[in-house]
Amino acid sequence: MDNQFIFKYSWETLPKKWVKKMERSEHGNRLDTNSDYLFQLLCFLKLHTYTRVQVSIDICGVDYPSRKRRFEVIYNLLSTRYNSRIRVQISADEVTRISPVVSLFPSAGRWEREVWDMFGVSSINHPDLRRISTDYGFEGHPLRKDLPLSGYVEVRYDDPEKRVVSEPIEMTQEFRYFDFASPWEQRSDG
Amino acid sequence: MNVPSPKKDLMIVNMGPQHPSMHGVLRLIVTLDGEDVIDCEPILGYLHRGMEKIGENRTIIQYLPYVTRWDYLATMFTEAITVNGPEQLGNIQVPKRASYIRVILLELSRIASHLLWLGPFMADIGAQTPFFYIFRERELVYDLFEAATGMRMMHNFFRIGGVAADLPHGWIDKCLDFCDYFLTRVTEYQKLITRNPIFLERVEGVGIVGAEEAINWGLSGPMLRASGVQWDLRKVDHYESYDEFDWEVPWQKEGDSLARYLVRIGEMTESIKIIQQALERIPGGPYENLETRHFDRERDPEWDDFEYRFISKKTSPTFELPKQELYVRVEAPKGELGIFLIGDQSSFPWRWKIRPPGFINLQILPQLIKRMKLADIMTILGSIDIIMGEVDR
Repeated sequence: MDNQFIFKYSWETLPKKWVKKMERSEHGNRLDTNSDYLFQLLCFLKLHTYTRVQVSIDICGVDYPSRKRRFEVIYNLLSTRYNSRIRVQISADEVTRISPVVSLFPSAGRWEREVWDMFGVSSINHPDLRRISTDYGFEGHPLRKDLPLSGYVEVRYDDPEKRVVSEPIEMTQEFRYFDFASPWEQRSDG
Repeated sequence: MNVPSPKKDLMIVNMGPQHPSMHGVLRLIVTLDGEDVIDCEPILGYLHRGMEKIGENRTIIQYLPYVTRWDYLATMFTEAITVNGPEQLGNIQVPKRASYIRVILLELSRIASHLLWLGPFMADIGAQTPFFYIFRERELVYDLFEAATGMRMMHNFFRIGGVAADLPHGWIDKCLDFCDYFLTRVTEYQKLITRNPIFLERVEGVGIVGAEEAINWGLSGPMLRASGVQWDLRKVDHYESYDEFDWEVPWQKEGDSLARYLVRIGEMTESIKIIQQALERIPGGPYENLETRHFDRERDPEWDDFEYRFISKKTSPTFELPKQELYVRVEAPKGELGIFLIGDQSSFPWRWKIRPPGFINLQILPQLIKRMKLADIMTILGSIDIIMGEVDR
């Protein structure tokens, strides 16, 4: 469904050291790059005449705890002129700092705040890096795979102190993990 | 431009998380100089429920009830996108009838969402009458939804491979009656609002967004189309069966709040056109592709055939997501709603990222209200059309 135009063009014109791997699939094309070259690559994609990728649709972080560089930050981009989408991915670990793309794509400001808040991947020289979705005194980065779904603290309103307090979580029922293939038994031979 | 001198006191006003308009829990910290706005800072996160992390621990069919809570006024779109993602990953064909049913329900949901945008928008400006009028039509839409899906708002209706149940007998006639009635109502709204001089004073020239600026900031939906960019995902992406209907994309050039209002009214009329065409041409056939309910290793397609559908209950829906990534998108009434889905070869997704249109459209608010008056904040905020449920998810 995607137009393959900018993908083919970028594959031919980009300097090879910027791009670690390019993959094309029917579900969207992706470009893997190094975090040193991220800003230059996005600048090229945005301003070059044949790839005018002007819209940053989404910046997303993914956590793969089994890898050495466990986070991957994925930039979903759209070119309205050529009706093409492309994805740029970089890997990072907990202490890598990626360069912000806010000066290129103004809409990226909040996405980068969210990647910081949810994963802990920070940006160098970001104009405004603070938490965006979590609570005011929240510790930890929620979307990492090591934080459990229920979290570690729960909040309640404490009447003697007349404010909301956070306390370690108390669960009355153990967390049930439904990882089953089918609620019924597997059929033996159909 | 007035540079605020250090002797002048700038007042900082907190338009707190709760306020009597229906946008939701959005906190705006506004810096004022008299009545002019110097700066504004929106603070989000009051409705953050961790939808993305929950998505990593639920199968798709278990997650469907959660998705309607993102954008609770246009619920069909969130369900459609939750189901479209796995369908595209697994290359699942949706039967024609199911596609038409989906289009009809999606367009009804778009009308409902625009109606409930119109009411609070007018109420924020000061006109309370349309707020009651829209609920009249919205109740009719709710009745149609309840007859088809069983629930007024949080229908859990879409399934991977189609819809959960077929339309009841007589629903199509009721829906056609609704379309005829609604067209007279839209004319009534236009007579009441569009050339009203008080409304025009409040809304014309307020919050202008140019076309280049709109694309740079990543706006989508009616905000983009009101600035002169004719970008509508239904036409561009050719998804579902929108290509088979004859309809136009409404757009305007000025980019102010009046243009956005006109685009949304135009979209309501176009939606009625699509619904009428779909209802007249709806094909028969199965409403769900039952083969998706098994894992690949246990297929037995003979029992999933259309003729056997009354033999017994349907098997439980289990679906395994292949190890691929996909960005699927849909043209929600607020803008471009997207899901970035990374599958792991299991029934739980590895990453379920929601791209809400309200989150992006809200970023332009501090730009737009510099040098506007305090009363214009609500006009601009209303015309951006955000829902905090999806902004915070």
